[in-house]
Amino acid sequence: MSFIQARGEAGAVADAVVFEDVVKAYGKFHALDGLAFRVREGEMYGLLGPNGAGKTTAIRILAGLQRATSGRVEVLGRKPSDPEVRPLVGYMPQETALYLDLTVRENLDLFGSLYGMSREARAKRIDDLLEFVELTRWADELITKLSGGMKHRASLAAALLPKPRLLVLDEPTVGVDPELRAGFWQRFERMGREGTTILLTTHYMDEARRCARVGLMRRGRLLAEGSPAEIMAAAGVDNLEDAFLRLAGRGAEA
Amino acid sequence: MRPTRVLAVTRKTLSALRHDPRTVALMLLAPIMAMLIFGFAFGSETKHVPVLVVNEDQGPLAGQLVSQLDHVALDLSNATDLAAARDDVREGRAVAVLHFPAGFSAGASSGGAHLDLLLDTTNSQLSGAVVREMAAAAQRLLQSRGAPLPVTTDVTYAHPEAKDARFIDSFVPGIMAFAVTLFTTLLTLLAFVGERTTGTLDRLRVTPATEAEIVLGYEIAFGVIAAVQATLLLAVAILLYHVLVVGPVLVAALLVILTAIDAQAIGILISAAAQREGQAVQMIPFIILPVFLLSGIFVPVETLPSWLRPLSYLLPPTWAIQGLRDVMLRGWGLEHVWLHVAVLLGFALLFTLLAIAGLRRSRAA
Repeated sequence: MSFIQARGEAGAVADAVVFEDVVKAYGKFHALDGLAFRVREGEMYGLLGPNGAGKTTAIRILAGLQRATSGRVEVLGRKPSDPEVRPLVGYMPQETALYLDLTVRENLDLFGSLYGMSREARAKRIDDLLEFVELTRWADELITKLSGGMKHRASLAAALLPKPRLLVLDEPTVGVDPELRAGFWQRFERMGREGTTILLTTHYMDEARRCARVGLMRRGRLLAEGSPAEIMAAAGVDNLEDAFLRLAGRGAEA
Repeated sequence: MRPTRVLAVTRKTLSALRHDPRTVALMLLAPIMAMLIFGFAFGSETKHVPVLVVNEDQGPLAGQLVSQLDHVALDLSNATDLAAARDDVREGRAVAVLHFPAGFSAGASSGGAHLDLLLDTTNSQLSGAVVREMAAAAQRLLQSRGAPLPVTTDVTYAHPEAKDARFIDSFVPGIMAFAVTLFTTLLTLLAFVGERTTGTLDRLRVTPATEAEIVLGYEIAFGVIAAVQATLLLAVAILLYHVLVVGPVLVAALLVILTAIDAQAIGILISAAAQREGQAVQMIPFIILPVFLLSGIFVPVETLPSWLRPLSYLLPPTWAIQGLRDVMLRGWGLEHVWLHVAVLLGFALLFTLLAIAGLRRSRAA
């Protein structure tokens, strides 16, 4: 099975995320089957793959919500379960995961308090975030009253509350209209420029082109890893979707 | 209106059951359980009422009368120390002292035998059973003797303020504990299942908040809600039904709040077993019906068969209800019901720790 290695500066930048030979087993089924990849600090990394590849499982282990069966996982140099790591990581799950009976502001206020922010710091941060995601006008609406796109934006705001060094996004643009999707990518790129490490999962191959590096995932492990250009070149195609299909095909033969 | 379309919907509704054995079990078991429990609760005669007999009669009449008493309805024990026996009744260890003075038999033949009855009226089912039984026994003795039986009973009350206690007075404490348990367990159960299904629990977990903090936060909220509920329940009971509240209302409120905290922790524990809100609601009858039967709301714990009684004491509401009756009907304060408060606190601690551990375990999966 071919495996493409990324060519970059070795050892110059710290690793924000390390996955080494990670297995997550549910009985006989291996959701992660020897997953290995690294995300450098400050880079935008995309985990690509079809549904069922194990992307969400990897993300949840990273966020400390589940534990790997075996292998090494490091987040900003620490174990995912380390309490020190909590305020450094922002997590945006696939579902809205906000309290439907609370307003946007009340939700953000709750999570802000849990991050230990003082009332003034919270108020300022919430106002800034609401502006960033353009929800200022709807700050005092119940989540249940918001449209899907607005809920998504609120969810992003909640993930950004603690000014995280590492932002982990699980399929952030699924079901999102093209305009909002463009808006999200603008925001991600802006945060990337400001130094935030971003790890996102997606099954939209075309979006992944915007990432510095991508890892193509299938059945719990990586098929290939590198910059989008490298992967396309190695697979001999001009888009990531075909690259994935080629590499997956080869993988099946091996 | 097309019958085929109507039947298509019927078919789909019944087919859905095929894939959901839990709901089927509920549909079949719940009515059976309800019938068994309510049948037992409302159909059984009050039994095993603890009564102390102090027989100082120098003749045989007292013994004859006692032997006519139904030994299943009343749990009779002989006592020799009258003062100690009266204390037992005042402290709730027995429901009545039946005292036959030395001249009982002699008095019967000379036109006036009298006996003393010290009665605890705080549970009208129990005290009612004693009075009924004595009347029935006297009737049976009369029939077997053939001759008239001039016996008078001097009744004194262990708790004078409760001497006219009605059924509703001892029922209201039961209803208060039951209502708070039911609503709190259900609300917590739904809230936590909701937290799991919407993913908000995960968002809580990625913050520095610990499971202990989450559980305690919920407990305080439900403690407050329970206090409000207790106030409303008491207000309605007192203003509308003139229910007795002899002792300190604050102690009664404390018992209700502790009941809510216990119920809330149990709600969190059970929430792990439900993947959807619908499943959680299905569990409710299986929790509520046993509580209704076993905690003395309607059936005095004494009436339950002896093998079932230990289970009563494993349920927090049993302790809350007895404590509430002691406060509201006996007028006891904290010095007397400290045990009930301590047990409820103990349950609260145990269930809270279990709930926290349960949440932690689901994260380690």
